[in-house]
Amino acid sequence: MGKFKDNYIVKAWLVLSIALIFGSSLAGVEIVLKPKIIANKLNETLSLIPYLIQEKEKEKSQNLKITFNKVEIEKNERKIFYNVIHTSRDGKTAGWVVKSKGPGYADKVELLIGFDPNMKYITGLFVIDQKETPGLGNKIIENNFRNQFLRINTENSLVAVKTGKRHPGEIDAITGATISSRSVCDIVNTVVKDLKQPLGSGSIKK
Amino acid sequence: MDNTENKKSKLVVSHSPHVISLSLSTRIMMTDVMIALLPVISMAYYVFGWLAIKQILISAGTCLVSEFIFVGMRKKSLTLTDFSALITGVILGLSLPAPAPWYIAVVASVTAIGLGKVIFGGLGMNIFNPAMVGRAFVMIAFASVMAASGYIDKSMSIDVMTMATPLNAFKQSGILTSCSDLIFGSINGSPGEVSGIACILGGVYLCLRKTVSWQIPAGVIFSVLILGYLAQISGIQTGWTVLHQIFSGSLLFGAFFIATDPVTSPLTPKGKFIFGAGVGILIIIIRLFSGYPEGVMFAVLLMNSLTPLINRWVKHRTMGEL
Amino acid sequence: MAELPTPTERFLQGILPENPVYRQLLGLCPTLAVTNNMKSAVTMAAAVAFVLFCANIIISLIRDLLKPHLRIVIFTLTIATFVTIVDKFLAAYVYSMSKELGPYIPLIIVNCIIICRCEVCASKQNVVAAASDAVGQSLGFALALFSIAGVREILGTGAFFELQILPSSWPNWIIMVLPPGAFFTLGLLLGLVNWLSNRSGKKAT
Repeated sequence: MGKFKDNYIVKAWLVLSIALIFGSSLAGVEIVLKPKIIANKLNETLSLIPYLIQEKEKEKSQNLKITFNKVEIEKNERKIFYNVIHTSRDGKTAGWVVKSKGPGYADKVELLIGFDPNMKYITGLFVIDQKETPGLGNKIIENNFRNQFLRINTENSLVAVKTGKRHPGEIDAITGATISSRSVCDIVNTVVKDLKQPLGSGSIKK
Repeated sequence: MDNTENKKSKLVVSHSPHVISLSLSTRIMMTDVMIALLPVISMAYYVFGWLAIKQILISAGTCLVSEFIFVGMRKKSLTLTDFSALITGVILGLSLPAPAPWYIAVVASVTAIGLGKVIFGGLGMNIFNPAMVGRAFVMIAFASVMAASGYIDKSMSIDVMTMATPLNAFKQSGILTSCSDLIFGSINGSPGEVSGIACILGGVYLCLRKTVSWQIPAGVIFSVLILGYLAQISGIQTGWTVLHQIFSGSLLFGAFFIATDPVTSPLTPKGKFIFGAGVGILIIIIRLFSGYPEGVMFAVLLMNSLTPLINRWVKHRTMGEL
Repeated sequence: MAELPTPTERFLQGILPENPVYRQLLGLCPTLAVTNNMKSAVTMAAAVAFVLFCANIIISLIRDLLKPHLRIVIFTLTIATFVTIVDKFLAAYVYSMSKELGPYIPLIIVNCIIICRCEVCASKQNVVAAASDAVGQSLGFALALFSIAGVREILGTGAFFELQILPSSWPNWIIMVLPPGAFFTLGLLLGLVNWLSNRSGKKAT
């Protein structure tokens, strides 16, 4: 009997039973809340998609069919995955939306970029996550900056310039936040470079 | 704070905390600095007119008032008469963009005296150069007014203020400013930094008077010469020569007037040279590889934090202890 | 064994005399990290309050069963459970806030205020004392967060709860919403609190 009492596992009966109770209650919480959390994450993206593929009229976006794809790219002998959203209406591609992130000035910047079906133009851009300097770098989420990307041809790679844009493919950098502006351009450039061929040529269709 | 043994010497060599003795000797030093700043201030007036003078007066005035209030709050004897707050204010005023709005100078001055000096225990106790603490604060707080565009005011009648500062013009669009403009001061910038000649004039006077030790500016210029030359031959920045490095921005002003603050720089000649060289190296690194066009302020602040370390290091070596 | 404070004393102590931030200097990570606006400060204060309250009650209920060498494990388990619940709850119902606070909600697990209260109060006293202690400490923590966040948001953006209260000509002190501003504000407010309590202490004697 004494031996039984000295057993480590028996000594820790309180820890074990508490762990069991807490574990099962957490599982319960997870079961109840998980659908909501997933829906939240999805809604964040879904609510933006009509703006990203230049949908002006509301009725149209209701017929929009949205499918999530993972596109695999081989680059420098490494495989990279992109989250690509394919939107279509009546069986025809309405546009592509690509989710991508890259280093900003303070932390990662995450973008949703919309393209036309042939990947020739950028049709929209949203910054969905950033921690850039308030008052300076975080102006990348403002329309003044974002709207510069609309209708931009994907032929040229984008450059953030400080002295006023003159050439195609130039984006006015935010005063005092050249690095943040540049990193947005860089992310867009990388996406275009990696996905223009596979998406535009129609080799990926779903 | 008293150090009666050293009443006659200008600068007291002692362990940290580094205490400057007696307000009398401080006052002589500070008067010397004021005299040395005269050519710089007159150049600033010549280039920017009353705008520069206004900036200097606001910061000097606010520094004196905040010194009066904060020292009073700490119930210490008043130290206004040693002019140190005045010098902090003048140097701060000279380092702010001339067209900057009035509150920049006020906030910078209050921060300089409050957070930069009094909170550490007053003159002689501060770790960081007060003027640069104040400037760094407003630089980050009001980035849009203090950054490149803060120097440009197209509505002013003063010619130079419609241009970008030389370092910004170069960093952003690769526009070179001629060396003679940099030396004589017909460029945009902070009022204190426009004229290389004026800074050298005042600086040499200070060194001759032994008010500041020549080792610090020598160290700064020495390391900038070497690294600037390396950058020039390696072609990192086409067209920007070592002379541009020396005469542009606030390098000379910083080397002679900011880095030489006796409270926040090392005590021994050797330590001073190391300190100066460190400032110079950091300036070049910041200029070449960071988002900021100019690095004097951050270089001085960073080296300030190393001062106690340099003091210990140099002392240990000179005593020959193992 | 020294006499333990009564529930009322516990409650009052938490608010000012033993304020977790200003007097005990505990929980500084959230204090510095999430006080750049009032909204996140309120969320953080509420999350900490919930976790502290629940953990204190559970620990107080099982205090006689605790073995000295296993108590920290049980504290951590309890705290971690409630933090996870808060984290999931925020993600489900206040998604924007959960995104903004990011890792700082899970980091409540290592917030020393809670483990300190479990150790100091809940593992020694009954449920009533533990609960009032939790409420008092949470109020004290909330007070500290709100004072810092208020100063930072007003100076940094001219707004309070995202409501513009200063004239639009107000130059935003961007440094105040950046990390350095947290240190400046905490330091200066800490100095102010010490100064005030010194003064009132002198008056009393």
